[in-house]
Formats: sequence, structure tokens, C-alpha cells
Amino acid sequence: MEQVECIIVGGGLAGLSAAYGLASAGVEVMVLERGDYSGAKNVTGGRLYVKPIRGFYPELWEELPYERPIARELVTMMGDGAHTTIEIASDRFAGAKPQSYTVLRAKLDQWLAEKVTEKGAMVVPNMKVDELLRKDGRVIGIRAGGDEIGAQVVIVAEGVLRLLSSEAGLAAEPQAKHHALGYKEVIELPSGVIEDRWHLNPGEGAAQFFMGACTKGMMGGGFLYTNKESISLGMVVGMEDMRRRRDGTESWQLLDEFKELPQIKPLVAGGVVAEYSAHSVPEGGISQVPKLAGDGYLVAGDTAGLSLNALVTVRGMDFAIASGYFAAEAVKRAKKAGDFTAAGLASYEASLRNSFVLKDLETARAIPGFMENPRLFTHYPVAVSRLLESIYTIDERPQAGLFKKAWRGLRRDFMNVATVKDAWSMRKI
Amino acid sequence: MPMKIDAKLGLDVFKLDKEPHIVIDTDVCKTVCTDEACVYVCPADLYERDDQGRMTVNWEGCLECGTCLMCCDHKALTWKYPSGPFGVQYRMS
Amino acid sequence: MDIVVCVKTNPDLQMVRIKNREAVTEAVPYKIGDLEKNALQAAVDLRAAAGGKVTALCLAESNRKAAEDIKVALAMGADEAVVIDDPALAAPDQAAIAAVLAAAVKKIGACDLLLFGEGSSDNYTGQVGARVAELLGLPQIGYARKVEAADGAVRCERSMDDMIETLEAPLPAAVTVVSEINEPTIPGLMQIMKAKSKPLQVWALADLGLGAPAPVREIVSNLAEEQDRKNILFEGTVAEQADAFVNALIKEGVLGR
Repeated sequence: MEQVECIIVGGGLAGLSAAYGLASAGVEVMVLERGDYSGAKNVTGGRLYVKPIRGFYPELWEELPYERPIARELVTMMGDGAHTTIEIASDRFAGAKPQSYTVLRAKLDQWLAEKVTEKGAMVVPNMKVDELLRKDGRVIGIRAGGDEIGAQVVIVAEGVLRLLSSEAGLAAEPQAKHHALGYKEVIELPSGVIEDRWHLNPGEGAAQFFMGACTKGMMGGGFLYTNKESISLGMVVGMEDMRRRRDGTESWQLLDEFKELPQIKPLVAGGVVAEYSAHSVPEGGISQVPKLAGDGYLVAGDTAGLSLNALVTVRGMDFAIASGYFAAEAVKRAKKAGDFTAAGLASYEASLRNSFVLKDLETARAIPGFMENPRLFTHYPVAVSRLLESIYTIDERPQAGLFKKAWRGLRRDFMNVATVKDAWSMRKI
Repeated sequence: MPMKIDAKLGLDVFKLDKEPHIVIDTDVCKTVCTDEACVYVCPADLYERDDQGRMTVNWEGCLECGTCLMCCDHKALTWKYPSGPFGVQYRMS
Repeated sequence: MDIVVCVKTNPDLQMVRIKNREAVTEAVPYKIGDLEKNALQAAVDLRAAAGGKVTALCLAESNRKAAEDIKVALAMGADEAVVIDDPALAAPDQAAIAAVLAAAVKKIGACDLLLFGEGSSDNYTGQVGARVAELLGLPQIGYARKVEAADGAVRCERSMDDMIETLEAPLPAAVTVVSEINEPTIPGLMQIMKAKSKPLQVWALADLGLGAPAPVREIVSNLAEEQDRKNILFEGTVAEQADAFVNALIKEGVLGR
């Protein structure tokens, strides 16, 4: 059997990040990517938090092919005929070192694959891996079509569906209750129009989330990210809620209905849809992170369940890049010690535990459970809008005082057993 | 009027394999399944019953999200990624 | 028998989007043209029968990663590859392409058979094979759907609508092939890995003793055709709508010709 030092299954951000670190250190590495190019099978909602990963491969992020640095964050709570948008703008969001950028994966991943190739790694596109080869419980290589190639270590970054790793018994099969479906349209708009509609300085971007009526009570929401000359408009909906639904709603229709809403329609007016895409999103949190390393293998990125939907901040790509970085560090260490067993690769999990990746996931341990609460997606967006609407309403009757209006609304919608319970459960998130 | 789902899929690039990458055990759909989750969850609207009541999938337009695989309680789907150069190829996303 | 296959890489046409009537080629990968893959496969098959060496020859034109993309030809079975990459050749016309390829074939030296795809996947001018053959003074056979070589000659078959023509030419010769000739294999991982260590040379125009070509043809504009819908809505009963619809089609010359 032909041998290489390290095979990486999957040329997405986790796999490429690992390859970059390894190739830079002179490790012989081969990345197998099933798409026409890295990024051809990937979908992002839209945003990469670059601040957490600036310390890894600092030279790279200067050249990142981003769309726009995000300067404005918006959350829209969709009520019943009324909606409330909160907008947060900070000089510190964008500025000289922005904390996050909107990105499109075809461009981003291809760029990173080129950087990896320049460092001497081999990135093979159009190559689907069919099996992880095991011998005596140890991963010893891969099979692609009729070819078997051996490796001292295999980094499994095959994506969220874990088809290979679950087949090989390295991780559990992914379950609907721990995942959401994300899907979006990329809609082209001239950059000037984007800047006018979201009140942006030239080149700057906005991210907007929508909670409430748009998911018909199901866990999830709408999202909108501004790219250079397009917007990514889509939804994320919990799979468990979706498949248990019995009212005939089909997932794809939700996005069409969302686009027709009076709050959305003017935002996309005149836009030309250029692409439609969908992807599963791990939402199980830290309790669903599989064993991260074993004899002859490491798992990284979505395969390791490394993503975090904290309602208003959604992260995954920064975790993928960080996990790739730590995977490379662990493999370098294992190579030095000549030990690619679980023990030799154990520094991987330790590094992730000491970094923001597993620390942030640990902090957010209660979030997946918290988000199962349907009131988040039904009652609260409506109640907030109802309360504020009452304060802003003037009619022919003598008006109650501001305090009284607010108090009345709070009493009605926010001070009952259920909401107090919700508030109490919030302390864990 | 919203864009038809077929028209949306028409914007994507699909490189077609000769073999389907999704195979349905239609007996399971006929005898065990009553919820038809695949029909409701698929973001590309690919699942439908034919006039004989057999479940079918237009796998050629698959976005490869895997949602149907996770949502089918009855394990009626044999679901692989399309091989090598085939399947959806996103140009932006 | 030593075979040189001229291989063009072009943007993967299926991946090109049209925006404001212009092609969006940003982030679109290049790949070897379909007919060139047929030509490569034919060369590999001929080598299997007659021995010798297969060299893939590629003019990079605007593809900055041609030296990377040509490795697919090596994985498909070519023994060596030569890429001609020169900024002066970013957008050459067919005359310049042919002149450069002819010079490169001369420099490669041993060449009993020169193979081309009948036309490139992008422009499909179908000129280059014939032009190179002319410059090198070689006999040329076009539209070959079958190629055999034996006893110092190449024998090709081509379909002429209602008959099949078989042609023979003495070697060295140039042949341009069509897609019916074979089904190119998709290289496996092992072949791709082996391709990495096969010889690959990159030449500039100076290596061929050539200067920058003076273009004799300029592309002034390259726009997608504009297709406007007529946006006619027919009203009335279904029967009336059908009548009006058919009448409109007749008026447009779509029906009843």
C-alpha cells in the first residue's frame, strides 16, 4: 500500500487549516476534496469571526478574500403585524482589525487551498473518500475508488454528516435532534444599493437576524448577510421541529414566504437570485462532540460538531480553522515523538479544551436545551413588538403615561409563571 | 410572485453521475412510513410519491445537505455523497 | 511511437455565470477540454498497443495555474508534460497559438503522431490542429472517430453523415479527434499521486526562440445574447387562450411553417 505521512479527508476550512500548518512544518500531507474545488460543496450563512483566530497563521488573515467587515449587527423580532429591530453599531466591530467578515465559501476555500498548495501540500479535488481503513482498531489509511493509501495519521474533516467516521465507528451517526437545516439564496444587488439599504459606509457590511413568525414557531430564524455585491438571505430551522410538523409546510416554502414579508421585500427588491444552497448545521453543542482523537486519527471541524448557535452570534468556521490548527500542532508533536496512537495525539483534545473552542462550547452547554423552548420563537418576538408598539401608539383616547403603558405590557407578557421560568433558565446561558 | 423552486435549482451547477447517490427502500415507505418527513424537510423539494404511491427522489437536483437522511426515522434511505466529479458544485455560497 | 497531444485548458464552462451579459470567470477553475481528453485517451491507448512516449503539450494562455491543471493529463497516462507560459501569450489568436505549438513540437523533437481535439471547449474555432499541421508540413486527418497506427502509417475513420470514410496517412502526421473516439478514464487517486513525479517542463517564448506575437485579430466584445421575454398574457376562456396562443405562435413563425 502506498504511504503518505498524513491524509486529510475533506478540503474545507478545518482540513485546509490543518494542511497549512502541517505543510509549513514540512510534513507530507495530502488533502482529498470531493468537490470540483475546495468550497464547491460548502455553504456558510455568511460570517467568519476572524478575531478569535488571528493568532493562528497571522500572515494569512491579512490576505483573506472577505466580502465586507461587519460594522452593524441587527436583530429583528417579528411580531403580529409589528416587528422590532435592534441595531448595534460599534467602531470596534469593523475598524482597522475587524472582528468578523462576511464571506462566500467558493472564493474563501479556494484561496486557502491555493495557500496550502504553495506550502507544498497536495490538494486533490474531485476525490471522494469511500472508506476509512482500520486495522486492529487503528485507522491506517483511506480507500478512494479502487485505491487504498496508507497514512500514519488521518485527519477526518469530512463535514457535518460524518458518513465515513460513523461508518468506521469513530463517531455516532448524526441525528436530526442535534442538527438544523440551513439554506439560503445569494441575491445580487449593486454595492451602492446594499450600502444605502443598510446605512453602511462604503465597503462595510451588516448582519441581520430575524426571529419569530418566519419559522412558524419552529426553532431557528432568518439571516441576512451583506456581501460585496450580493446578500446571503436564508433560514436555519431545527430539523426535529421541522420533521415533527404536520401542517404541510415544506422547508423550501418558508424561505419564499420569508422573502415576501413586508419587512424583507423592500430589502431584496431589484435583486437577482444567483444561487440557492443548503447544508446541515451541527447544533448539539458540547454534549454532541465525539471522541476527538484515537489511534491514527483526529476529527476536526463540523465532523467534531464544533459549531455554536447562540441565537444572535453563530460560529463554526472560526472553530473549524482553530481545530485544524490544533490538529496540525498535535500531529507535529506526534511525529516528533514517533507516536501516532491515541496517547501520542492526546495533545489535540487538551489544546482544544484550553482554547476558546471547547471553552466557549462548554460555557454554552445549556444553549441547545434552552433553544428547544418554543416561546423563544413564538411568544417573545411578538410580546416585545406588542409592548413597544403600545408605547408608540397615539389614538383619539387619552393616553396612559409611559410608565403605565410599559408596566401594563410587561405584566401581560413578561410576568407569568412560564416567563419567570424562562428567565430563570436563562441564567445558565 | 416567488421564484419556483425548480428555477432556483436551475441557478446551481449540477454535474450528473450515471448512478443515483440516494436509493429509497420503497417498501419501507409503503408499509411503515406515515409521516413522510423527507417530503417536508428537503430544501430542494425532491421527494414525491408517484402515481402508484411509491416514494421517489429527483436526486439529480440534490444539494447534498443530508437533511432527509437524518430526518427519516425509518432508515429507508441509502445515502452516499455523489462520487468524484459529480453532484452540486456551488460557485458562491 | 512517440505521440504529442496538444491540450488546452479552459474555464469550466458549466461553472461560468452570466451577469449583465458578461461571463463571470472569477473563482471558476480551468480544466482540460473534453475533446483534448479524448485525444489524450487515444494517445494512451495507442501507446499501449505500440509502445513509445506520450507528451502533453499545453499553452497556458490566461490560465495562471496551467502547470497544476496539466497534471490531470499526466494522471490520465501521459509520460511527460510541457507547458508554455508567457505573459505575451495571455490572449493569443489562433495563428499565434499554432506558431507557438509548432515551435514547441519541433523543440520536443521526437513526434511520430500529433493529436488534437477537433476544437476547444470554449471557442471551438477548430483551426489550431490544421494550422500546426500546415506549419510543420504534416498530413492532417480531421474528425477522427477511430485511430490506429501500424507500419509507419496512421489509419483513421470518420463519419461523413451517410458514409464512413477511412483515411490513411504516413507518419509523422497530425490527427484531430471527435468525442465518439473513446470514453476518457477518470484518473484514480494512485494515478494522481504518481503524476506528481512525472517530468513537467515550463517554457517561455524565449525558450522557443520566439518573440511576442503580433495579434492579427482582436476580440472587440463578447456578450451573452440578450433574450427578452415577450410577456404576452392571453385572456378569456381556456379555448380562447389556446386559440390566441396558437395564432401567436403561427405569427412568430414557430408553427405552421
